[in-house]
Amino acid sequence: MAVINYEPLDTTSDVTTTKTLLYEAIPLTGSILSGTYSDGNIKNYTHGMFQSVYDYPYLSSSANHILDLTVGFSAGSTLSGSVSSVQESKKLNMYNQFAQVLLGYTGSNNAVREFELDLNLDGSGKASAAFFINFSRLITKDQIKKGSFSMIIGTGSWALPFGPQTATLTDASASETGGTNNTIGGDYGLLYDGTNTARGLVFYQAGIVVLGTASWAAALTDFNSGSAAGSLLRYTLAQSLVSASISGSCDALRHRIKNISFNNTTEINSTIYFCRVPHNKYNYSSNPTYISSSQIRVKSIATDTSVSYITTVGLYSSNNELLAIAKLSEPLRKDPTNEITLRVRLDY
Amino acid sequence: MAFLDNSGDIILDAVLTEEGRKKMADGTFRITKFALGDDEIDYSLYNKTHASGTAYFDLDILQTPVFEAFTQTNAGINYGLLSLTATDILYMPVLKVNQQAALSNTVLSPTTPTTNLFYIADTSTDTTTNLLLTTALATSNKFLVSDGTTGPAILLETGLDTSTIAGDAANKSSYLVSNNLVDSSFHVYFDNRFIVSCLGPSNGSKFDNTSTGTSGSPTLEYTLTRATSVTTDFTISNYSACRVSAGNNGVIKDSSYSTADTTVSAIAGPRGSFTALGFVVKPNLDSEFTLYGSVSQNVFSDSKLYSYIDTTVYVKGTTTGAQVQIPLRIIKYISG
Repeated sequence: MAVINYEPLDTTSDVTTTKTLLYEAIPLTGSILSGTYSDGNIKNYTHGMFQSVYDYPYLSSSANHILDLTVGFSAGSTLSGSVSSVQESKKLNMYNQFAQVLLGYTGSNNAVREFELDLNLDGSGKASAAFFINFSRLITKDQIKKGSFSMIIGTGSWALPFGPQTATLTDASASETGGTNNTIGGDYGLLYDGTNTARGLVFYQAGIVVLGTASWAAALTDFNSGSAAGSLLRYTLAQSLVSASISGSCDALRHRIKNISFNNTTEINSTIYFCRVPHNKYNYSSNPTYISSSQIRVKSIATDTSVSYITTVGLYSSNNELLAIAKLSEPLRKDPTNEITLRVRLDY
Repeated sequence: MAFLDNSGDIILDAVLTEEGRKKMADGTFRITKFALGDDEIDYSLYNKTHASGTAYFDLDILQTPVFEAFTQTNAGINYGLLSLTATDILYMPVLKVNQQAALSNTVLSPTTPTTNLFYIADTSTDTTTNLLLTTALATSNKFLVSDGTTGPAILLETGLDTSTIAGDAANKSSYLVSNNLVDSSFHVYFDNRFIVSCLGPSNGSKFDNTSTGTSGSPTLEYTLTRATSVTTDFTISNYSACRVSAGNNGVIKDSSYSTADTTVSAIAGPRGSFTALGFVVKPNLDSEFTLYGSVSQNVFSDSKLYSYIDTTVYVKGTTTGAQVQIPLRIIKYISG
């Protein structure tokens, strides 16, 4: 039923806003990327431009989208223009799409800027071919926390990708106060390996990792010995990027990812309403159990202290519309001897 | 809805209601005031005789588990806390339906075939005719007539329903008037699928036992008019609200009266205000009888068939918050 007594909120003194950053640790084990579900959690598309990874067989309604994988190279790459190239136009398109969205254009002719394994964007250290890992919004939330990204890749043979040879790529030098650069695609940091050599980029707000091909030795003859590796059943990384399909190269990448972990960030904007309950208000109740034969149950004589118990705070519009409700975890005693300020936080 | 974890600090679990989300979507979300509620509390658990003293009186109440927030607007605060300025109030008014036999032109709930259920005839004339048969409700004061502006009506009274305080004029002044515990109007909430509007007393309506000299006989005079629609935070689905005016309840206790005040009024002590209620039933409810009620039932065991819908009307005093629920049966004669 309708409430009888309202208390006004002064927008200057009773309402304030705050921002809270919430971090969650996201560990992605390699077995999710390859193995656990016999690739039942890997979705390929007829267009063949990227591959999606789920945390459960994707035909199940319980499956959550984790990330997408694709590969590409720029027109200026040495890989471009090969006669044996498979899906070359799509690989060019993919590279350009990531580059133009994350880096934008440069020069008087508005050429798409290419990825560089440094923070300068000065045209040196280009990564003209790369793997792209797009994490879903579900796990990155508002952004990847700077300095928290870590990825272990196997650099060994196809048969023993993680044997004694792994590389750990981290953005440990990045933080909220430095070690990053910002572009039209948001802030990005560098992924360094154990020798402090930049091997990739991580775009924090976009939730995209750009993994340069130099992460693996060019001499690694069986980077890709999967089903897409052609009649020789062994491709170097460069051969795989040129001659294997996008999904085939993505399969090879998944085969070599041991672990990915990072912290995501959720930005919670809150409005805090200070509901100030004066000593002389809300000391009675219209609750039907409050009286028995018209006498207030909590009193024996008129001079006894009137008492009520707060369990709910309703926040209303000027038209008496109930817009939000806050519940206390336990009843709160209110009587004329106390004043209470209830701090109600609404998160957006 | 689960209970909140109350093992640690007091926390506030705040959620937007459906209305809040709607306002957020259309860009008109603006909170300007708050109110407090205690819906989960059962004040009968307050033990004023606890052997260990006053600190233990509310032990059971403070252990009451509190629900998580509901998002339906109507499930927010049903019984709000009140900001009455006086600290020495011991009695608070109740709202009761007056079914005293001494009154005329009021509606009583029949004792057969149902109890505590008020009947209202739909707009067809043969329903009224058949309800007046002795095999049915028999008399016109056992049911309301849709849009019946001259009555009979449901008479509601507020006051202190206790025999501890005499219902005389002095007590009315000290216990009710001086504490601002007299309602000047009531909000009536009804299901708009079946009821078009409600009727309330017009200005000049009267209910007292002082107009007839020292006999103490009751005087009840009213004409019903359509009530004003209002918007409140009470938003049970399909319910509408209107405001009906309240008149001064002039029934008082006077030992010189030959008719006792308690045979005239439903309130045992000082009386505050009164109102009379009628309703306008939506015409052509046949499809609603099928969907929400019962069709072609031998309600009175007289071989005549009726269709009916049972609904509830809520009434609340706009000043005191005193409230009552009125179960109402909308009935229509079908055949037989």
